[in-house]
Amino acid sequence: MSGPNDDNMSPHTQLSSHFFGDLLDSIIVDVASECHRIAKLGLDRNLEEEEEELRLSTQARVRAADPSNSGEANSKYVVDIFGQTHPPVANEIFECMNCGRSIMAGRFAPHLEKCMGKGRKARLKATRSSTAAQNRYSRGSPVSTYSPYSNSSSTNRLSNGTPGVAGEEYSNGTLEEP
Amino acid sequence: MRNSVNRPPTPDAAEDPGKEPTLQEIINIKLIESGEKERLMELLRERLIECGWKDEMKALCRAFIKKKGRSNVTVDDLVHVITPKGRASIPDSIKAELLQRIRAFLVQAAV
Repeated sequence: MSGPNDDNMSPHTQLSSHFFGDLLDSIIVDVASECHRIAKLGLDRNLEEEEEELRLSTQARVRAADPSNSGEANSKYVVDIFGQTHPPVANEIFECMNCGRSIMAGRFAPHLEKCMGKGRKARLKATRSSTAAQNRYSRGSPVSTYSPYSNSSSTNRLSNGTPGVAGEEYSNGTLEEP
Repeated sequence: MRNSVNRPPTPDAAEDPGKEPTLQEIINIKLIESGEKERLMELLRERLIECGWKDEMKALCRAFIKKKGRSNVTVDDLVHVITPKGRASIPDSIKAELLQRIRAFLVQAAV
């Protein structure tokens, strides 16, 4: 594309070319600015991919070769592929929906066992609190631990979340573990 | 005192008897005011993306950035990198289409 050439072009043609060039220049600046932005913000991962890979692989090699990483205290805190470490026992704390105590997540299952009824103490707790309901709904079956939970008016926070228990009103008191 | 308070009054080009707006300027204003310039830009942008021109330009930029180093590159550098190749590699069909539309505008603008 040559520069403006007045002699051979009609004014319209020359003007058109001029404006076309104008548009093109604007678009070129846009593209350049976009590439510049991507480069500066480091959004283009391919830009230094090889260097990045080299760096990461040397890091990994160092970590693998490092004797202090295998065994000893660090063996529990293994680093996964994302570079995160997880403590051996999940340590988020929340409230048990059954008894209302603050429980650590990693200890929740054993707590539930005791709290909800597998344990001896829980069964005693249930029996004592709503004996009348238990007698009404269970037909002589010894396994009656779950019935109070669907009928008792005592603090029963399970009624919302435990689908297996809700159907209990129709059963003979024999329940399968949910 | 802030500079904006002491700013000299905006020069009004139209009132300046020595300089009349050139034909180009008049047309430019008409293009912008009617919205046609924006439409033409969008059209050109779309066409250039479709035909892969934009990707070529981005590749050129990336190569240049890789060579020169991310932190030393300026927008100006990139503009200078792209402009010669960019102007030369516009497909003829796209150029023709845009020129056609611009000419049509000039005609109906009665210039």
